[in-house]
Amino acid sequence: MSRVARALMWHELLERTRDRWVLVVSVLFAAMASAVSAYGSAGGHGEAAAGAALTGPSLVTLASLFVPLVALVLSHDAIVGERERNTLGLLLSMPVSRTEVVFAKFIGRGAALALSVALGMGTAIAFAGSAQRSVLISLMLPTLLLGLAFLAIGLLLSTLAPRQSVAASMVVVVWFGLVFFYDLGLLGLLVASDGGVSENTIAHLVVANPAGLYRVAMMQSLLGGQALSDLGLSVELPSVAQRALIWAAWVIGPTLLSALILARKRVLR
Amino acid sequence: MKSVVLEEVGVSFGKLKALIDVSIRASAGEVLMLAGPNGAGKSTLMRVLLGLVRPSSGQLLVDDVATQVNHRFKAQLGYLPEAVAFSENLTGSQVLRFFAQARGVDRKRVDAVLERVGLTQASRRRVRGYSRGMRQRLGIAVAILTEPALLVLDEPTGGLDQEGLELLWSVLSEWRESERVVIMATHDLTLVERRVDCVCVLDAGRRVAFDSPSGLRRKVGLPLTVTFEVVDDRIDEVAERIERWGRAELDREDGIVRVSVSTEDLLDLMDLRANLPGAVRSLRVEEPGMDEVYEALLQRGAA
Repeated sequence: MSRVARALMWHELLERTRDRWVLVVSVLFAAMASAVSAYGSAGGHGEAAAGAALTGPSLVTLASLFVPLVALVLSHDAIVGERERNTLGLLLSMPVSRTEVVFAKFIGRGAALALSVALGMGTAIAFAGSAQRSVLISLMLPTLLLGLAFLAIGLLLSTLAPRQSVAASMVVVVWFGLVFFYDLGLLGLLVASDGGVSENTIAHLVVANPAGLYRVAMMQSLLGGQALSDLGLSVELPSVAQRALIWAAWVIGPTLLSALILARKRVLR
Repeated sequence: MKSVVLEEVGVSFGKLKALIDVSIRASAGEVLMLAGPNGAGKSTLMRVLLGLVRPSSGQLLVDDVATQVNHRFKAQLGYLPEAVAFSENLTGSQVLRFFAQARGVDRKRVDAVLERVGLTQASRRRVRGYSRGMRQRLGIAVAILTEPALLVLDEPTGGLDQEGLELLWSVLSEWRESERVVIMATHDLTLVERRVDCVCVLDAGRRVAFDSPSGLRRKVGLPLTVTFEVVDDRIDEVAERIERWGRAELDREDGIVRVSVSTEDLLDLMDLRANLPGAVRSLRVEEPGMDEVYEALLQRGAA
Protein backbone atom coordinates (compact mmCIF):
# COMPACT_ATOMS: atom_id res chain seq x y z
CA MET A 1 0.00 0.00 0.00
CA SER A 2 1.37 3.40 -0.99
CA ARG A 3 2.24 6.21 1.41
CA VAL A 4 -0.71 8.22 0.14
CA ALA A 5 -3.12 5.33 0.85
CA ARG A 6 -1.69 4.84 4.35
CA ALA A 7 -2.04 8.54 5.11
CA LEU A 8 -5.59 8.47 3.68
CA MET A 9 -6.57 5.62 6.02
CA TRP A 10 -5.56 7.65 9.10
CA HIS A 11 -7.11 10.77 7.66
CA GLU A 12 -10.43 8.96 7.13
CA LEU A 13 -10.40 7.63 10.69
CA LEU A 14 -9.64 11.08 12.12
CA GLU A 15 -12.20 12.83 9.92
CA ARG A 16 -15.01 10.35 10.59
CA THR A 17 -14.53 10.41 14.35
CA ARG A 18 -15.17 14.16 14.19
CA ASP A 19 -18.40 13.85 12.20
CA ARG A 20 -21.32 14.96 14.36
CA TRP A 21 -23.83 12.53 12.80
CA VAL A 22 -21.54 9.56 13.38
CA LEU A 23 -21.07 10.72 16.98
CA VAL A 24 -24.82 11.22 17.53
CA VAL A 25 -25.81 7.77 16.22
CA SER A 26 -22.89 6.07 18.03
CA VAL A 27 -23.70 7.73 21.37
CA LEU A 28 -27.40 6.89 20.95
CA PHE A 29 -26.50 3.25 20.28
CA ALA A 30 -24.19 3.22 23.32
CA ALA A 31 -26.88 4.78 25.54
CA MET A 32 -29.55 2.31 24.48
CA ALA A 33 -27.19 -0.67 24.67
CA SER A 34 -26.12 0.28 28.19
CA ALA A 35 -29.78 0.77 29.19
CA VAL A 36 -30.66 -2.72 27.92
CA SER A 37 -27.64 -4.14 29.69
CA ALA A 38 -28.35 -2.32 32.94
CA TYR A 39 -31.97 -3.53 32.85
CA GLY A 40 -30.77 -7.10 32.37
CA SER A 41 -28.46 -6.98 35.36
CA ALA A 42 -30.95 -5.23 37.68
CA GLY A 43 -33.73 -6.73 39.84
CA GLY A 44 -33.95 -9.65 42.27
CA HIS A 45 -32.35 -13.05 41.85
CA GLY A 46 -35.10 -14.63 39.71
CA GLU A 47 -35.76 -11.45 37.77
CA ALA A 48 -32.04 -11.05 37.15
CA ALA A 49 -31.81 -14.48 35.60
CA ALA A 50 -34.73 -13.71 33.27
CA GLY A 51 -33.30 -10.30 32.46
CA ALA A 52 -29.89 -11.76 31.73
CA ALA A 53 -31.42 -14.21 29.28
CA LEU A 54 -33.04 -11.31 27.45
CA THR A 55 -30.02 -8.99 27.39
CA GLY A 56 -28.22 -10.80 24.56
CA PRO A 57 -31.23 -11.05 22.21
CA SER A 58 -32.27 -7.47 22.99
CA LEU A 59 -28.78 -6.23 22.19
CA VAL A 60 -28.79 -8.23 18.94
CA THR A 61 -32.05 -6.56 17.92
CA LEU A 62 -30.68 -3.14 18.88
CA ALA A 63 -27.38 -3.69 17.08
CA SER A 64 -29.12 -4.97 13.95
CA LEU A 65 -30.93 -1.62 13.76
CA PHE A 66 -28.19 0.79 14.83
CA VAL A 67 -24.96 -0.69 13.51
CA PRO A 68 -26.10 -0.71 9.84
CA LEU A 69 -27.23 2.89 10.35
CA VAL A 70 -23.84 3.95 11.79
CA ALA A 71 -22.07 2.15 8.93
CA LEU A 72 -24.20 3.77 6.23
CA VAL A 73 -23.81 7.23 7.82
CA LEU A 74 -20.05 6.62 7.91
CA SER A 75 -19.68 5.57 4.30
CA HIS A 76 -22.39 7.24 2.20
CA ASP A 77 -20.26 10.29 1.33
CA ALA A 78 -16.91 8.50 0.94
CA ILE A 79 -16.52 9.10 -2.79
CA VAL A 80 -19.37 11.40 -3.77
CA GLY A 81 -18.49 13.77 -0.91
CA GLU A 82 -14.93 14.13 -2.21
CA ARG A 83 -16.27 14.68 -5.72
CA GLU A 84 -18.69 17.36 -4.54
CA ARG A 85 -15.99 19.18 -2.54
CA ASN A 86 -13.62 19.07 -5.55
CA THR A 87 -11.08 17.11 -3.52
CA LEU A 88 -11.38 13.81 -5.40
CA GLY A 89 -9.30 15.16 -8.27
CA LEU A 90 -6.79 16.52 -5.77
CA LEU A 91 -6.58 13.12 -4.08
CA LEU A 92 -6.15 11.28 -7.37
CA SER A 93 -3.55 13.78 -8.61
CA MET A 94 -1.25 12.30 -5.95
CA PRO A 95 0.71 9.07 -6.54
CA VAL A 96 -2.11 6.68 -5.60
CA SER A 97 -4.38 4.38 -7.60
CA ARG A 98 -8.14 4.62 -7.52
CA THR A 99 -8.37 1.09 -6.10
CA GLU A 100 -6.07 2.09 -3.24
CA VAL A 101 -8.26 5.12 -2.53
CA VAL A 102 -11.37 2.92 -2.24
CA PHE A 103 -9.66 0.38 0.03
CA ALA A 104 -7.99 3.07 2.16
CA LYS A 105 -11.36 4.71 2.66
CA PHE A 106 -12.94 1.36 3.53
CA ILE A 107 -10.23 0.52 6.07
CA GLY A 108 -10.16 4.01 7.62
CA ARG A 109 -13.93 4.21 7.93
CA GLY A 110 -14.03 0.56 9.04
CA ALA A 111 -11.72 1.52 11.93
CA ALA A 112 -14.09 4.36 12.84
CA LEU A 113 -16.95 1.85 12.75
CA ALA A 114 -15.00 -0.52 15.00
CA LEU A 115 -14.60 2.32 17.52
CA SER A 116 -18.34 3.00 17.37
CA VAL A 117 -19.20 -0.69 17.88
CA ALA A 118 -16.63 -0.92 20.68
CA LEU A 119 -18.20 2.12 22.34
CA GLY A 120 -21.73 0.68 22.10
CA MET A 121 -20.92 -2.87 23.07
CA GLY A 122 -18.24 -1.74 25.54
CA THR A 123 -20.68 0.37 27.55
CA ALA A 124 -23.19 -2.53 27.44
CA ILE A 125 -20.50 -4.86 28.78
CA ALA A 126 -19.59 -2.35 31.49
CA PHE A 127 -23.20 -2.26 32.72
CA ALA A 128 -23.74 -6.01 32.38
CA GLY A 129 -23.61 -8.56 35.21
CA SER A 130 -20.57 -10.82 35.27
CA ALA A 131 -22.54 -13.78 33.86
CA GLN A 132 -23.58 -11.84 30.78
CA ARG A 133 -20.21 -10.34 29.94
CA SER A 134 -18.82 -13.31 28.04
CA VAL A 135 -22.06 -13.51 26.00
CA LEU A 136 -21.84 -9.84 25.09
CA ILE A 137 -18.13 -10.09 24.24
CA SER A 138 -18.97 -12.93 21.84
CA LEU A 139 -21.33 -10.53 19.99
CA MET A 140 -18.56 -8.04 19.19
CA LEU A 141 -17.05 -9.65 16.10
CA PRO A 142 -20.33 -10.62 14.38
CA THR A 143 -21.67 -7.12 15.08
CA LEU A 144 -18.58 -5.59 13.49
CA LEU A 145 -19.01 -7.90 10.47
CA LEU A 146 -22.61 -6.71 10.14
CA GLY A 147 -21.35 -3.12 10.21
CA LEU A 148 -18.60 -3.78 7.66
CA ALA A 149 -21.14 -5.29 5.24
CA PHE A 150 -23.26 -2.14 5.41
CA LEU A 151 -20.14 0.03 5.25
CA ALA A 152 -19.26 -1.65 1.95
CA ILE A 153 -22.81 -1.14 0.67
CA GLY A 154 -22.63 2.56 1.61
CA LEU A 155 -19.27 2.87 -0.14
CA LEU A 156 -20.73 1.38 -3.32
CA LEU A 157 -23.69 3.77 -3.19
CA SER A 158 -21.32 6.70 -2.68
CA THR A 159 -19.44 5.67 -5.82
CA LEU A 160 -22.63 5.36 -7.86
CA ALA A 161 -24.48 8.46 -6.61
CA PRO A 162 -24.15 11.65 -8.66
CA ARG A 163 -24.65 13.87 -5.60
CA GLN A 164 -24.25 13.51 -1.85
CA SER A 165 -27.96 14.21 -1.26
CA VAL A 166 -28.82 11.33 -3.62
CA ALA A 167 -26.39 9.05 -1.75
CA ALA A 168 -28.05 10.01 1.55
CA SER A 169 -31.49 9.16 0.13
CA MET A 170 -30.19 5.88 -1.23
CA VAL A 171 -28.76 4.76 2.11
CA VAL A 172 -32.03 5.56 3.89
CA VAL A 173 -33.87 3.37 1.35
CA VAL A 174 -31.29 0.59 1.76
CA TRP A 175 -31.45 0.78 5.55
CA PHE A 176 -35.26 0.57 5.63
CA GLY A 177 -35.24 -2.06 2.90
CA LEU A 178 -32.68 -4.47 4.35
CA VAL A 179 -33.22 -3.88 8.06
CA PHE A 180 -37.00 -3.40 8.29
CA PHE A 181 -38.91 -4.43 5.20
CA TYR A 182 -36.86 -7.33 3.87
CA ASP A 183 -38.22 -9.90 6.34
CA LEU A 184 -41.73 -8.50 6.05
CA GLY A 185 -41.47 -8.75 2.29
CA LEU A 186 -40.41 -12.39 2.53
CA LEU A 187 -43.31 -13.08 4.88
CA GLY A 188 -45.65 -11.44 2.40
CA LEU A 189 -44.15 -13.52 -0.38
CA LEU A 190 -44.69 -16.69 1.62
CA VAL A 191 -48.33 -15.84 2.26
CA ALA A 192 -49.03 -14.51 -1.22
CA SER A 193 -47.47 -17.50 -2.97
CA ASP A 194 -49.61 -19.81 -0.84
CA GLY A 195 -46.92 -22.45 -0.63
CA GLY A 196 -45.55 -21.75 -4.12
CA VAL A 197 -42.33 -20.54 -2.59
CA SER A 198 -41.03 -23.10 -0.14
CA GLU A 199 -40.10 -22.26 3.45
CA ASN A 200 -36.63 -23.49 2.65
CA THR A 201 -36.23 -20.90 -0.12
CA ILE A 202 -37.53 -18.20 2.19
CA ALA A 203 -35.05 -19.35 4.86
CA HIS A 204 -32.21 -19.06 2.34
CA LEU A 205 -33.37 -15.60 1.35
CA VAL A 206 -33.47 -14.54 5.02
CA VAL A 207 -29.82 -15.42 5.56
CA ALA A 208 -28.77 -13.92 2.22
CA ASN A 209 -29.44 -10.51 3.77
CA PRO A 210 -26.57 -9.51 6.13
CA ALA A 211 -29.03 -8.13 8.70
CA GLY A 212 -31.05 -11.37 8.52
CA LEU A 213 -27.98 -13.58 8.75
CA TYR A 214 -26.75 -11.62 11.79
CA ARG A 215 -30.09 -11.82 13.59
CA VAL A 216 -30.66 -15.52 12.91
CA ALA A 217 -27.07 -16.54 13.68
CA MET A 218 -26.93 -14.56 16.91
CA MET A 219 -30.39 -15.63 18.11
CA GLN A 220 -29.56 -19.24 17.42
CA SER A 221 -26.26 -18.88 19.22
CA LEU A 222 -27.89 -17.18 22.24
CA LEU A 223 -31.19 -19.05 22.47
CA GLY A 224 -30.50 -22.30 20.62
CA GLY A 225 -32.27 -23.66 17.55
CA GLN A 226 -35.20 -25.01 19.56
CA ALA A 227 -36.06 -21.58 20.95
CA LEU A 228 -36.28 -20.18 17.43
CA SER A 229 -38.45 -23.07 16.26
CA ASP A 230 -40.74 -22.42 19.22
CA LEU A 231 -41.10 -18.86 17.93
CA GLY A 232 -42.05 -20.24 14.52
CA LEU A 233 -38.67 -19.34 12.94
CA SER A 234 -37.60 -22.59 11.35
CA VAL A 235 -34.55 -21.19 9.58
CA GLU A 236 -31.72 -23.60 9.10
CA LEU A 237 -28.46 -21.77 9.71
CA PRO A 238 -25.82 -22.19 7.00
CA SER A 239 -22.57 -23.88 7.94
CA VAL A 240 -19.70 -21.80 9.31
CA ALA A 241 -17.96 -21.91 5.91
CA GLN A 242 -21.14 -20.83 4.11
CA ARG A 243 -21.64 -18.00 6.61
CA ALA A 244 -18.06 -16.88 6.12
CA LEU A 245 -18.68 -16.85 2.37
CA ILE A 246 -21.85 -14.80 2.74
CA TRP A 247 -20.07 -12.28 4.98
CA ALA A 248 -17.09 -12.13 2.63
CA ALA A 249 -19.41 -11.55 -0.33
CA TRP A 250 -21.15 -8.67 1.44
CA VAL A 251 -17.97 -7.06 2.78
CA ILE A 252 -15.61 -7.56 -0.16
CA GLY A 253 -18.09 -7.61 -3.06
CA PRO A 254 -19.41 -4.03 -2.85
CA THR A 255 -15.92 -2.70 -2.02
CA LEU A 256 -14.41 -4.37 -5.08
CA LEU A 257 -17.30 -3.16 -7.20
CA SER A 258 -16.72 0.39 -5.95
CA ALA A 259 -13.06 0.15 -6.93
CA LEU A 260 -13.97 -1.17 -10.39
CA ILE A 261 -16.57 1.54 -10.97
CA LEU A 262 -14.27 4.33 -9.79
CA ALA A 263 -11.48 3.02 -12.01
CA ARG A 264 -13.73 3.34 -15.06
CA LYS A 265 -15.70 6.40 -14.11
CA ARG A 266 -15.13 10.03 -15.05
CA VAL A 267 -14.39 11.17 -11.56
CA LEU A 268 -14.96 14.85 -11.99
CA ARG A 269 -17.85 16.95 -13.15
CA MET B 1 11.63 19.67 -15.38
CA LYS B 2 12.61 21.83 -18.35
CA SER B 3 9.38 21.65 -20.31
CA VAL B 4 5.90 20.16 -20.32
CA VAL B 5 4.22 19.63 -23.65
CA LEU B 6 0.80 18.29 -24.51
CA GLU B 7 0.91 17.41 -28.19
CA GLU B 8 -2.22 17.20 -30.33
CA VAL B 9 -4.33 15.94 -27.45
CA GLY B 10 -7.87 14.80 -28.17
CA VAL B 11 -10.45 13.83 -25.55
CA SER B 12 -13.91 12.43 -26.28
CA PHE B 13 -16.72 11.68 -23.86
CA GLY B 14 -18.98 9.50 -25.96
CA LYS B 15 -20.01 11.65 -28.93
CA LEU B 16 -18.85 14.85 -27.26
CA LYS B 17 -15.41 15.99 -28.32
CA ALA B 18 -14.06 17.86 -25.31
CA LEU B 19 -10.62 18.51 -26.84
CA ILE B 20 -9.64 18.41 -30.49
CA ASP B 21 -5.92 18.16 -31.27
CA VAL B 22 -4.85 20.74 -28.71
CA SER B 23 -1.14 21.41 -28.21
CA ILE B 24 0.45 23.47 -25.45
CA ARG B 25 3.99 23.98 -24.28
CA ALA B 26 5.16 25.37 -20.94
CA SER B 27 8.88 25.75 -20.28
CA ALA B 28 10.80 26.08 -17.04
CA GLY B 29 10.39 29.55 -15.55
CA GLU B 30 7.12 30.15 -17.44
CA VAL B 31 3.57 30.73 -16.30
CA LEU B 32 1.07 29.47 -18.88
CA MET B 33 -2.51 30.66 -18.67
CA LEU B 34 -5.42 28.71 -20.12
CA ALA B 35 -8.32 30.95 -21.09
CA GLY B 36 -11.67 30.29 -22.66
CA PRO B 37 -15.40 30.36 -22.01
CA ASN B 38 -17.13 27.72 -19.91
CA GLY B 39 -16.95 24.35 -21.64
CA ALA B 40 -13.98 25.41 -23.78
CA GLY B 41 -11.87 22.51 -22.51
CA LYS B 42 -9.57 24.24 -19.98
CA SER B 43 -10.40 21.92 -17.10
CA THR B 44 -10.30 18.85 -19.34
CA LEU B 45 -6.83 19.84 -20.53
CA MET B 46 -5.65 20.19 -16.94
CA ARG B 47 -7.24 16.86 -16.03
CA VAL B 48 -5.30 15.18 -18.82
CA LEU B 49 -2.15 16.58 -17.24
CA LEU B 50 -3.23 15.36 -13.79
CA GLY B 51 -4.03 11.86 -15.06
CA LEU B 52 -7.74 12.23 -14.26
CA VAL B 53 -8.83 11.97 -17.89
CA ARG B 54 -7.31 9.60 -20.42
CA PRO B 55 -6.84 11.24 -23.83
CA SER B 56 -8.05 9.41 -26.92
CA SER B 57 -5.16 10.80 -28.94
CA GLY B 58 -1.99 12.81 -28.52
CA GLN B 59 0.80 12.56 -25.99
CA LEU B 60 2.49 14.16 -23.01
CA LEU B 61 6.14 15.09 -23.37
CA VAL B 62 8.29 16.00 -20.38
CA ASP B 63 11.68 17.43 -21.35
CA ASP B 64 10.82 16.36 -24.91
CA VAL B 65 10.44 12.70 -23.92
CA ALA B 66 7.07 10.94 -24.24
CA THR B 67 5.78 10.30 -20.70
CA GLN B 68 2.85 8.57 -19.03
CA VAL B 69 1.00 10.30 -16.20
CA ASN B 70 2.30 7.75 -13.70
CA HIS B 71 3.12 7.93 -9.98
CA ARG B 72 6.59 9.31 -10.73
CA PHE B 73 5.15 12.17 -12.78
CA LYS B 74 2.42 12.80 -10.22
CA ALA B 75 5.04 13.09 -7.47
CA GLN B 76 6.24 16.28 -9.22
CA LEU B 77 2.75 17.83 -9.38
CA GLY B 78 1.01 20.35 -7.16
CA TYR B 79 -2.67 21.00 -7.83
CA LEU B 80 -5.22 23.55 -6.70
CA PRO B 81 -8.74 22.54 -7.80
CA GLU B 82 -11.38 25.17 -8.49
CA ALA B 83 -13.43 26.15 -5.41
CA VAL B 84 -11.88 23.42 -3.29
CA ALA B 85 -13.68 22.62 -0.02
CA PHE B 86 -11.71 20.55 2.46
CA SER B 87 -13.34 18.52 5.21
CA GLU B 88 -15.14 20.92 7.52
CA ASN B 89 -14.66 18.64 10.53
CA LEU B 90 -10.88 19.08 10.55
CA THR B 91 -8.63 22.03 11.35
CA GLY B 92 -6.50 23.69 8.68
CA SER B 93 -3.43 22.17 10.29
CA GLN B 94 -4.93 18.65 10.21
CA VAL B 95 -5.83 19.02 6.53
CA LEU B 96 -2.32 20.14 5.64
CA ARG B 97 -0.71 17.45 7.82
CA PHE B 98 -2.64 14.78 5.90
CA PHE B 99 -1.25 15.99 2.60
CA ALA B 100 2.21 16.26 4.20
CA GLN B 101 2.04 12.62 5.38
CA ALA B 102 0.77 11.52 1.98
CA ARG B 103 3.63 13.31 0.25
CA GLY B 104 6.36 12.53 2.78
CA VAL B 105 6.83 16.15 3.83
CA ASP B 106 8.09 16.97 7.33
CA ARG B 107 6.30 18.96 10.02
CA LYS B 108 8.62 21.97 9.71
CA ARG B 109 7.56 22.45 6.11
CA VAL B 110 3.88 22.30 7.15
CA ASP B 111 4.46 25.11 9.66
CA ALA B 112 6.45 27.11 7.10
CA VAL B 113 3.71 26.79 4.46
CA LEU B 114 0.99 27.75 6.95
CA GLU B 115 3.07 30.82 7.76
CA ARG B 116 3.57 31.55 4.06
CA VAL B 117 -0.17 31.53 3.30
CA GLY B 118 -0.99 33.50 6.44
CA LEU B 119 -2.95 30.76 8.21
CA THR B 120 -0.72 30.14 11.24
CA GLN B 121 -3.16 31.84 13.63
CA ALA B 122 -6.17 30.02 12.13
CA SER B 123 -4.46 26.65 11.75
CA ARG B 124 -6.09 25.18 14.87
CA ARG B 125 -9.56 26.29 13.84
CA ARG B 126 -11.89 23.94 12.00
CA VAL B 127 -12.23 24.57 8.27
CA ARG B 128 -15.98 25.02 8.91
CA GLY B 129 -15.18 28.48 10.30
CA TYR B 130 -12.95 29.54 7.40
CA SER B 131 -13.97 32.24 4.92
CA ARG B 132 -13.82 31.49 1.18
CA GLY B 133 -10.52 33.31 0.90
CA MET B 134 -9.02 31.32 3.79
CA ARG B 135 -10.12 28.06 2.16
CA GLN B 136 -8.46 29.17 -1.07
CA ARG B 137 -5.26 29.96 0.85
CA LEU B 138 -5.38 26.49 2.39
CA GLY B 139 -5.76 25.10 -1.14
CA ILE B 140 -2.70 27.08 -2.24
CA ALA B 141 -0.82 25.71 0.80
CA VAL B 142 -1.66 22.14 -0.27
CA ALA B 143 -0.59 22.86 -3.85
CA ILE B 144 2.81 24.32 -2.94
CA LEU B 145 3.52 21.98 0.00
CA THR B 146 6.05 19.82 -1.86
CA GLU B 147 7.50 22.73 -3.90
CA PRO B 148 6.42 20.84 -7.04
CA ALA B 149 8.18 21.20 -10.37
CA LEU B 150 4.78 21.62 -12.04
CA LEU B 151 2.06 23.67 -10.38
CA VAL B 152 -1.45 23.35 -11.83
CA LEU B 153 -3.92 25.98 -10.61
CA ASP B 154 -7.61 26.03 -11.51
CA GLU B 155 -9.16 29.47 -10.95
CA PRO B 156 -6.58 30.40 -8.27
CA THR B 157 -7.89 33.95 -7.76
CA GLY B 158 -11.34 32.79 -6.58
CA GLY B 159 -12.31 34.32 -3.24
CA LEU B 160 -8.92 35.95 -2.63
CA ASP B 161 -8.73 39.47 -1.20
CA GLN B 162 -5.88 41.86 -2.08
CA GLU B 163 -3.58 40.23 0.48
CA GLY B 164 -4.46 36.79 -0.90
CA LEU B 165 -3.77 37.97 -4.43
CA GLU B 166 -0.36 39.27 -3.32
CA LEU B 167 0.33 35.80 -1.91
CA LEU B 168 -0.62 34.24 -5.25
CA TRP B 169 1.57 36.68 -7.20
CA SER B 170 4.52 35.90 -4.90
CA VAL B 171 4.01 32.16 -5.50
CA LEU B 172 3.97 32.73 -9.27
CA SER B 173 7.14 34.85 -9.04
CA GLU B 174 8.89 32.25 -6.91
CA TRP B 175 8.04 29.45 -9.33
CA ARG B 176 9.18 31.54 -12.27
CA GLU B 177 12.46 32.53 -10.60
CA SER B 178 13.22 28.97 -9.55
CA GLU B 179 12.74 27.74 -13.14
CA ARG B 180 9.65 25.69 -12.39
CA VAL B 181 6.44 25.50 -14.44
CA VAL B 182 2.98 26.90 -13.67
CA ILE B 183 -0.13 26.15 -15.71
CA MET B 184 -3.31 27.88 -14.60
CA ALA B 185 -6.84 28.40 -15.83
CA THR B 186 -8.65 31.60 -14.98
CA HIS B 187 -11.41 33.94 -16.05
CA ASP B 188 -9.66 36.94 -14.47
CA LEU B 189 -7.63 37.70 -17.59
CA THR B 190 -6.94 41.34 -16.87
CA LEU B 191 -5.97 40.55 -13.27
CA VAL B 192 -3.35 37.95 -14.15
CA GLU B 193 -2.07 39.07 -17.57
CA ARG B 194 0.99 40.86 -16.17
CA ARG B 195 1.93 37.69 -14.28
CA VAL B 196 1.81 35.23 -17.17
CA ASP B 197 4.28 34.54 -19.94
CA CYS B 198 2.02 32.69 -22.30
CA VAL B 199 -1.73 32.45 -22.97
CA CYS B 200 -3.56 29.57 -24.60
CA VAL B 201 -7.09 30.51 -25.67
CA LEU B 202 -9.47 27.59 -26.09
CA ASP B 203 -12.96 27.53 -27.52
CA ALA B 204 -15.24 24.53 -28.03
CA GLY B 205 -12.33 22.15 -27.45
CA ARG B 206 -10.04 23.77 -30.01
CA ARG B 207 -6.98 25.94 -29.55
CA VAL B 208 -7.81 29.39 -30.86
CA ALA B 209 -4.52 31.11 -30.01
CA PHE B 210 -1.25 30.47 -28.20
CA ASP B 211 1.17 33.32 -27.59
CA SER B 212 2.48 35.82 -25.06
CA PRO B 213 -0.02 38.52 -23.98
CA SER B 214 1.78 41.11 -26.12
CA GLY B 215 1.98 38.66 -29.02
CA LEU B 216 -1.77 38.10 -28.81
CA ARG B 217 -2.34 41.87 -28.82
CA ARG B 218 -0.22 42.23 -31.94
CA LYS B 219 -2.03 39.33 -33.58
CA VAL B 220 -5.46 40.78 -32.90
CA GLY B 221 -4.39 44.32 -33.84
CA LEU B 222 -6.99 46.12 -31.77
CA PRO B 223 -6.48 49.90 -31.68
CA LEU B 224 -4.75 51.73 -28.85
CA THR B 225 -6.66 54.35 -26.88
CA VAL B 226 -4.96 57.75 -26.54
CA THR B 227 -6.56 60.14 -24.08
CA PHE B 228 -5.66 63.84 -24.44
CA GLU B 229 -6.41 66.27 -21.66
CA VAL B 230 -6.85 69.51 -23.61
CA VAL B 231 -6.70 73.18 -22.59
CA ASP B 232 -10.36 74.30 -22.36
CA ASP B 233 -10.52 76.88 -25.16
CA ARG B 234 -8.62 74.72 -27.67
CA ILE B 235 -10.64 71.50 -27.56
CA ASP B 236 -12.46 72.27 -30.84
CA GLU B 237 -9.16 72.95 -32.56
CA VAL B 238 -7.61 69.68 -31.37
CA ALA B 239 -10.68 67.63 -32.27
CA GLU B 240 -10.91 69.23 -35.69
CA ARG B 241 -7.22 68.56 -36.49
CA ILE B 242 -7.53 64.89 -35.52
CA GLU B 243 -10.75 64.48 -37.50
CA ARG B 244 -9.12 66.06 -40.52
CA TRP B 245 -6.17 63.68 -40.11
CA GLY B 246 -8.75 60.91 -40.67
CA ARG B 247 -6.87 57.91 -39.32
CA ALA B 248 -8.47 57.66 -35.91
CA GLU B 249 -11.87 57.46 -34.27
CA LEU B 250 -12.55 60.29 -31.89
CA ASP B 251 -14.69 60.79 -28.81
CA ARG B 252 -14.83 64.01 -26.73
CA GLU B 253 -16.16 65.07 -23.36
CA ASP B 254 -15.41 67.90 -20.87
CA GLY B 255 -11.85 68.77 -21.83
CA ILE B 256 -10.97 65.22 -22.83
CA VAL B 257 -10.40 63.94 -26.34
CA ARG B 258 -10.21 60.17 -26.60
CA VAL B 259 -8.76 58.69 -29.78
CA SER B 260 -8.67 55.11 -31.04
CA VAL B 261 -5.66 54.62 -33.22
CA SER B 262 -3.71 51.70 -34.65
CA THR B 263 -0.20 50.97 -33.35
CA GLU B 264 1.27 51.93 -36.75
CA ASP B 265 -0.39 55.37 -36.68
CA LEU B 266 0.57 56.21 -33.09
CA LEU B 267 3.80 58.02 -33.98
CA ASP B 268 2.02 60.14 -36.61
CA LEU B 269 -0.58 61.06 -34.00
CA MET B 270 2.23 62.14 -31.66
CA ASP B 271 3.67 64.32 -34.47
CA LEU B 272 0.25 65.84 -34.94
CA ARG B 273 0.09 66.68 -31.23
CA ALA B 274 3.55 68.25 -31.44
CA ASN B 275 2.14 70.61 -34.09
CA LEU B 276 -0.40 71.86 -31.52
CA PRO B 277 1.95 73.45 -28.98
CA GLY B 278 0.38 74.25 -25.61
CA ALA B 279 -2.99 72.67 -26.51
CA VAL B 280 -2.53 69.35 -24.71
CA ARG B 281 -1.96 69.31 -20.96
CA SER B 282 -1.31 65.57 -20.72
CA LEU B 283 -1.85 62.38 -22.62
CA ARG B 284 -2.21 58.70 -21.77
CA VAL B 285 -1.77 55.72 -24.10
CA GLU B 286 -3.60 52.51 -23.22
CA GLU B 287 -3.30 49.12 -24.82
CA PRO B 288 -6.54 47.18 -25.30
CA GLY B 289 -7.49 45.14 -22.22
CA MET B 290 -6.83 41.43 -22.27
CA ASP B 291 -10.59 40.91 -22.04
CA GLU B 292 -11.04 42.73 -25.36
CA VAL B 293 -8.21 40.77 -26.98
CA TYR B 294 -9.78 37.55 -25.74
CA GLU B 295 -13.25 38.49 -27.05
CA ALA B 296 -11.76 39.38 -30.42
CA LEU B 297 -9.90 36.05 -30.58
CA LEU B 298 -13.05 34.10 -29.75
CA GLN B 299 -15.04 35.99 -32.39
CA ARG B 300 -12.40 35.27 -34.99
CA GLY B 301 -12.32 31.65 -33.89
CA ALA B 302 -16.09 31.42 -34.26
CA ALA B 303 -15.91 33.06 -37.67
